[in-house]
Amino acid sequence: MLELGFFYMFAGLAVISALAVVLSRNSVHAVMSLILCFFNAAGLFFLLDAEFIGIILILVYVGAVMVLFMFVVMLLEVNFVSVREGMLKYLPVGGVIALILFAEIVAAASSGVFSPDGIPDPGHVAQQLNNTVEIGKMLYTKYLLGFEIAAIVLLVALVGAIVLTLRVRTDVRYQNISKQVNVNPADRMHKVKM
Amino acid sequence: MVPLSAYLAVAACLFSIGIVGLFLNRKNVLIILMCIELILLSVNINLAAFSHFLQDISGQIFIFFVLTVAASEVAVGLAILVAYYRNRRSINVDDINTLQG
Amino acid sequence: MLNSTELLAIPALPLIASLVVGLFGWALKEKLSHTITSASVILSALLSAHVFTQVLGGASFYGNFWTWMLSDTFVVPVGMMIDQLTVIMMLTVTVVSSCVHIYTIGYMHGDPGYSRFFSYISGFTFSMLVLVMGNNFFTLFFGWEAVGLVSYLLIGFWFKRESANFAAMKAFIVNRVGDFGFLVGVLAIWYYFGSFDYRDVFAQVPALVAQGDSLHFLGWEMSAITFICLSLFVGAMGKSGQVPLHVWLPDSMEGPTPISALIHAATMVTAGVFMVARCSPMFEYSETALAAVVFVGAVTAWMCATIGLVQTDIKRVIAYSTCSQLGYMFVACGVSAYSAAIFHLMTHAYFKALLFLAAGSVIHAVMAEQDLRKMGQLRKAMPVTYITMLIAALALSGVPPFAGFWSKDLIIEAVGAREMGLVGDFAYFAVLSAVFMTAFYTFRMFFLTFHNSDRVAAKTKPHVHESPKVITIPLMILAVGALLTGAWGVMGLDIANPEIANGYFGSSLFVLDAHNPLMTLAEEGEHGWYHFVFTAPFWLAISGIGLAYAMYFRETDMPAKLAAASKPVYTFILNKWYWDELYAKTVMYPAQGLGRWLWQKGDLAMIDKGLIHGGIVGGVLAGMNRMRAMQTGYVYHYAFAMIIGVFATLTYLVLKG
Repeated sequence: MLELGFFYMFAGLAVISALAVVLSRNSVHAVMSLILCFFNAAGLFFLLDAEFIGIILILVYVGAVMVLFMFVVMLLEVNFVSVREGMLKYLPVGGVIALILFAEIVAAASSGVFSPDGIPDPGHVAQQLNNTVEIGKMLYTKYLLGFEIAAIVLLVALVGAIVLTLRVRTDVRYQNISKQVNVNPADRMHKVKM
Repeated sequence: MVPLSAYLAVAACLFSIGIVGLFLNRKNVLIILMCIELILLSVNINLAAFSHFLQDISGQIFIFFVLTVAASEVAVGLAILVAYYRNRRSINVDDINTLQG
Repeated sequence: MLNSTELLAIPALPLIASLVVGLFGWALKEKLSHTITSASVILSALLSAHVFTQVLGGASFYGNFWTWMLSDTFVVPVGMMIDQLTVIMMLTVTVVSSCVHIYTIGYMHGDPGYSRFFSYISGFTFSMLVLVMGNNFFTLFFGWEAVGLVSYLLIGFWFKRESANFAAMKAFIVNRVGDFGFLVGVLAIWYYFGSFDYRDVFAQVPALVAQGDSLHFLGWEMSAITFICLSLFVGAMGKSGQVPLHVWLPDSMEGPTPISALIHAATMVTAGVFMVARCSPMFEYSETALAAVVFVGAVTAWMCATIGLVQTDIKRVIAYSTCSQLGYMFVACGVSAYSAAIFHLMTHAYFKALLFLAAGSVIHAVMAEQDLRKMGQLRKAMPVTYITMLIAALALSGVPPFAGFWSKDLIIEAVGAREMGLVGDFAYFAVLSAVFMTAFYTFRMFFLTFHNSDRVAAKTKPHVHESPKVITIPLMILAVGALLTGAWGVMGLDIANPEIANGYFGSSLFVLDAHNPLMTLAEEGEHGWYHFVFTAPFWLAISGIGLAYAMYFRETDMPAKLAAASKPVYTFILNKWYWDELYAKTVMYPAQGLGRWLWQKGDLAMIDKGLIHGGIVGGVLAGMNRMRAMQTGYVYHYAFAMIIGVFATLTYLVLKG
């Protein structure tokens, strides 16, 4: 009963905050809503005995990625008023498509294949095991190659992000440390005979 | 106990909202990126639910990979956005159509 | 048996030399170019002479070296057949070719295409040797086409001259007509005999004749053997410049003079005669084909002789003479005197090459002037050329004891002896009257060049001189040939033996006893060269020379008067019987018109504009514009497309259940 209550709370808040992401006028508010949505999703993960993933979602995703979002939002001088204009114009099309998709997915989800008869509820047997240890065992054995590829993807993304944003500004003077260190007296000083 | 279909319904909800968001936003690329995050999150919820109900830890491993890719995507996407904004002083979606035929 | 390595070396040496000089001529000095090619051809000539002596001793060779093509039962080997007929050709080709090579060193000196020229003539020697040495119809065909190609290249050697390009094209296209017939003949041989091999084919001929196969061709029923022979003869007509395919030969004089001597007089153009002689076992069984050969040969001999009477270009006079003499050879083949034909081919090769080379020497001296009207009184300036050309002219006219007399009179007597009805009578008339004309035009040319009045242009005069040794020595060598080959052939080789099998040729030629005109002659007791002196041809030749002497030895007004008196005939002959105009009107203009129509309407209008630009390009452009419009560049449009895809897939899966 308690679990069901928590499920409704997390699920409801997640959906509401997701709506807020889409509908809010202010990008900062949107990011904040997204953070809330992630928190609630993490809660859902806890209910599903996926503690490690839930923690990761909060620590890494909310802690790093969302903060990055926030940075960028604040970095760019976005005109918030114009950002939202014309929104209602596209609401019917988008809404209809999304509704149909939603209806189809729900129809598929509740078609009986995924009912308790089809897939029985295992209860919380997994709680007896250490979720982190289990993930570690799988990740470093069966999915080692995938893990390494993920690492390379992250590395490439890191380098790519730096390359994309790096710029050498010509209108600003920089210190060139190595040049300063390697300078010779003869380059700077001229002896003038009087 | 919470049935599997309930989790799937939540994921469907988030997914649809993400789609709607893609369509509603014609002015701000940032929101589009966030909507993609939402869609990915809905997929993650699906994975976690199946992982739990099928008693297979592999689902969580896949969430892990999805998170990795999503994080990379956000990093690169935001970097592109910043570079673009620096050049055009705008992140209006309607302005981004250089690939027009 | 003959040594096969030696035999292979004979064509291989000129081929290698040709390739080396042709491919690396740009890097070689003039001296190296001509040394390589001349040495290889001279070596080839020496080997040929060696083979010749061996064959005289009774040796022969028959065998295949490689397989050229193989497709089920269609087998084309590369092999050689060396017998008396082959070696006499080999010897003639290589000796004349050697002389021409040496001559060319002097004649072409300083020409920008020097090494190219040597590469071509060596390549020609190779091709001609393949043609004569092969043991099947396909190697014959290969050589046939290869000499045609080299001939084309050499006629158009001075490719910056429009007339040379035109003449080269003309030669090539006219030869194509002949070669088509030849190819039809070769393929018909394969169809009927299932083999290309000379021996196999010739062995099966009597069986085919006995079988009496016939076919309908253009509504004309003829026996298979007649069809084959006529097809092959069409090829011979093209290659050997016989009416009506003779038009290219005089124009081929656009090429350098050594080429006129080697290819368009001595060797290549005689390939047709060689081929008919080689196929004597087939022609003998077809009266129709023999009659056709006699008729075409006689018409050519007579007609080209008349044209030769009035030409003013020194090389063209000799060129028409070549056509005419080839006509003699074909007439000889047609009356089954193959030995006489080949004999005349050999003697003709020497004296006609000599005539051309001497003419080249004259042209060289008067600074590339070829018009007889602008020569005269050159004998003092160039005595060697004068004497050698006199020998050649006497040989061509058929004055004893020069080479031409022996062979030509043999032919004429043979024509007279053979009973062939109307065609035979016409041929006898043609060759007899052509003797007179030959003597006349030869000496007309000779007197106009070396006697008569001095009409050399003033600015050319200081340049007139005897040619260098490198030019005169080949003339002298060939003069020896023009002097002696006739007597050598009759007395040394016994070529004129009426019993072919007992004479020089042995079994390499085949004549039915009923056809053999030499046999008839022998039975009538008229065989023997001394008899010939008191017969009509000799006196006709003498009177021809006499008339030329009277008209042209000194400058007289007789030629002009004669021309004025018979104006219509004169114009008709001067314009070469209007053959070129006839072809232009009946073939060239319609073909050009058709070509232009297809080009303008078919290619430009229909294919280019209609199909390509309108259909394909237009369709692609329209489709492309539509496709381009789809690419808006907006992110949400692409996202929308993706979602539609997801939506469609989902719907499909849900409905599928």
